[in-house]
Amino acid sequence: MIGTIFDIKEMAVHDGPGIRTTIFFKGCPLRCKWCHNPEGLSFDPQLMYKDAKCIDCKRCQNICEHEDCKPFQRCIHICPENCLEIVGRTVETKELANELKQSAGVLGESFGGFTFSGGEPLAQSQFLFELIDELKNYHLCIETSGYADEKIFLSVIEKLDFIIMDLKIADSRIHKQYTGVDNELILHNFELLKKSNKPYLIRTPLIPNITDTKENLNSLYNIIDDNSKWEKLPYNSLAGAKYKFLGMKYNI
Amino acid sequence: MNKELYNNILNKKHHQYRHNVEWTLAQEYAENGLSPIERMSDRFERLCNEEKAIILDGEQIVFLRTVSNIPAIFTDSEWEDISSKYYIHELGFISNLSPNYYDTIAKGLIKKRETADNYGKRAIDNIIKLSDKYLEEAKKQGREDLVEILSQVPRYPARNFREALQFFRILHYSLWLEGNYHNTIGRFDRYMYKYLKKDMEKGIYTEETALELLEDFFLSFNKDSDIYVGVQQGDNGQSMMLGGCDEDGKDVFNLLSELCLKASCNNKMIDPKINLRVSKNTPVERYIEATKLTKAGLGFPQYSNDDVVIPALEKLGYEHNDAANYTVAACWEFIIPNVGADIANIGAMSYPKAVNIALHNSLEKSKTYDEFFDFVKIEIEKECNDICNAIKNIWFVPSPFMNVLMDCATYNGGKYNNFGIHGTGIATATDSLAAIKKYVFEEKSIDKTELINAIDVNFENTPELLHRLRYESPKLGNNDDFVDSIATELLDAFANALKGKINCRGGIYRAGTGSAMYYLWHANEIGASPDGRRAKEPFGTNFSVSLFANVKGPVSVIASMTKQHFENAMNGGPLTLEFHQSIFADDDGIEKVGILVKNFIDRGGHQLQLNTVNLDKMIDAQKHPENYRQLVVRIWGWSAYFVELDKEYQDHVIARQAYTV
Repeated sequence: MIGTIFDIKEMAVHDGPGIRTTIFFKGCPLRCKWCHNPEGLSFDPQLMYKDAKCIDCKRCQNICEHEDCKPFQRCIHICPENCLEIVGRTVETKELANELKQSAGVLGESFGGFTFSGGEPLAQSQFLFELIDELKNYHLCIETSGYADEKIFLSVIEKLDFIIMDLKIADSRIHKQYTGVDNELILHNFELLKKSNKPYLIRTPLIPNITDTKENLNSLYNIIDDNSKWEKLPYNSLAGAKYKFLGMKYNI
Repeated sequence: MNKELYNNILNKKHHQYRHNVEWTLAQEYAENGLSPIERMSDRFERLCNEEKAIILDGEQIVFLRTVSNIPAIFTDSEWEDISSKYYIHELGFISNLSPNYYDTIAKGLIKKRETADNYGKRAIDNIIKLSDKYLEEAKKQGREDLVEILSQVPRYPARNFREALQFFRILHYSLWLEGNYHNTIGRFDRYMYKYLKKDMEKGIYTEETALELLEDFFLSFNKDSDIYVGVQQGDNGQSMMLGGCDEDGKDVFNLLSELCLKASCNNKMIDPKINLRVSKNTPVERYIEATKLTKAGLGFPQYSNDDVVIPALEKLGYEHNDAANYTVAACWEFIIPNVGADIANIGAMSYPKAVNIALHNSLEKSKTYDEFFDFVKIEIEKECNDICNAIKNIWFVPSPFMNVLMDCATYNGGKYNNFGIHGTGIATATDSLAAIKKYVFEEKSIDKTELINAIDVNFENTPELLHRLRYESPKLGNNDDFVDSIATELLDAFANALKGKINCRGGIYRAGTGSAMYYLWHANEIGASPDGRRAKEPFGTNFSVSLFANVKGPVSVIASMTKQHFENAMNGGPLTLEFHQSIFADDDGIEKVGILVKNFIDRGGHQLQLNTVNLDKMIDAQKHPENYRQLVVRIWGWSAYFVELDKEYQDHVIARQAYTV
């Protein structure tokens, strides 16, 4: 099975217990206005242009013969400062699993496990299932928006050791305004998660005046309940940085 | 700590007590035909006489330099003459030794005087005289505590922790005043602990009060360090080694070791430089404690692995008890306290230079990669021969007081007289060879002439070739055996090239993994390289991945850099990892970095230095240095105040890979 990922991060520190490797899946059904991984939104490989080192030589604009450059109308093999990169690589499950196992092997017993993040890992559920199967001997964690078909959500969490789920906005209308989708499905899946006996953590990014309002936090508190672990994340002020690299606009 | 004293020293208020001396000693000595040792002896006496006793408000550990300069003892023409007759290493004065402070602290100078030669006796007399000036000043200032201490030390043995620390200060201060440099501290926790232990058992100190005193003691290393010699500010060799095992393999990490880690963390100053010996028996909690010091951003501690270093030193001929007692020199070279006179930084071999010459002279005629690598090995041998053959008749200006403090005579060497050679740019060379192996010989997608020509014009006309070599070619640091094995072969080649060579003092040569400042100097010797490095770009420091290599992360780097055969190349030179400050933001991050370090050691890594960086801060500090006077960064084996560095050193740290979360 083929899937698209956009990064593998060794030594991820805040993605679950122990020293973990996090795999970032490309593509997400949500469009949260504050997303700090904009390269995770689209399911397709994209051109990323980091302008800081650009010397404006325009060599990338010359027509080249490389197959992989053709979809992007820029040559990605010629920049003297490596400003152009294709973000998003398609990979076969087994190939990816082997790569991941090698890196896990380096840490041996100190290796904490793998975390599936992104983007939205549940949006490539088949790929995710296969990958989970390849890595079943490791501690596995997911970071998810919870926005997926109930059956998929349940089958995935059943196979995992720890679930990190986002709950951003309690009011469904406001949720739709800021993330592009309403939250009924997400809240429904959260109830299933609560009943599942799986250890989990709820995360809420504190976006000034949007999610960090007293109203929102109180409403979320009522939904989340005292038994859950709840982490409120400070707003990442550098979140906007990657947008211009992808030719996108940051709307916060 | 005493905040006021601390701030005064940080703000250099004590510099007001300094003055320069305008003596023309060299001329006088030349006219009177004094021998080198007589000159050293006489200069030390004059400097001790000139030194004023200044006791700063609130100081617990006294002795302060009031004379800023140490006048030359040879005229220019005399020195030219000496340099033509002998091999002179660096400044020609004794450096990078780890003397036996403890022996003198335990015996007192009067007792040591009995077995000293005449010059040693004279030096001791002068130190006592200077100390008496401090005693007088203490009386004048009503400092009863110092009166008591200075009535005892340095004439007589230290009786307690405070006296021991003060005695140390007097001895260390005197070594610098005599003209020795890179005066390392040695295994401080090992030889000082008994004093602290006794005082705590008597109830004289608690952990808190002992820590306060230690902070003051640590502060004293920073009072005069700006007038010590070094390549940049901070390069002064005040290395302290903590932890490690004894001759029987038993762990000696004690309460004093713990307090030293804390004192360094609390002071946040660049001296003393904290080193920690560890092994597979080191509990993970210790790594986590040490990582709290790493978080402080001083580049401390630097880790050395007993499991790898001790057997390798023994293999090189060191006796077991000496090998087990190793410490580090100014940066990271392994030396033996009390008896070692190894010159561990006598030269540096450039791997990329060897590759460059082989590339130009022998790539065309090589039919296979192995053939080509043989030519590279020949160039490495040639470089080593050139370095070794040039070192004949080495001579140092004799240091009478250093001679007193060492357990063996040091006028012509010591018990161990091995020479160490650094190995610069291993990643650049490895990546270059990996590119040649893959593209020239295996895929045959790059033509030999094309490659050589491109390098000779700094890739001016071949942007695609540059991109492929620089950004797409396999690199050291990604746990890829294809590349990593080349680094192993290069280090082996270096070690083999030095095998069997005897130096002019009867010792051997040690191949090292350090670079010292050669990562800048050697990089300027060659143009561009086949790894896609442009002309004039520096190499990475010591045993690190290339500055611009695309690496997966610290786990892969550790995997790559622990595969080599360090047992054959034991001069020192750490892997350097740079972490972004944010990784240490919470306990979780600190714990994980600690675990990672343990992993490095358990895998057989030999030496590691960690840097905590914040790129934004450094870039801003270049623009507004006045706002960043206390920003510290790790350089190649010591730490510096970022704003005091020359720009090329600043730029290098900025260019390094930093692992973020």
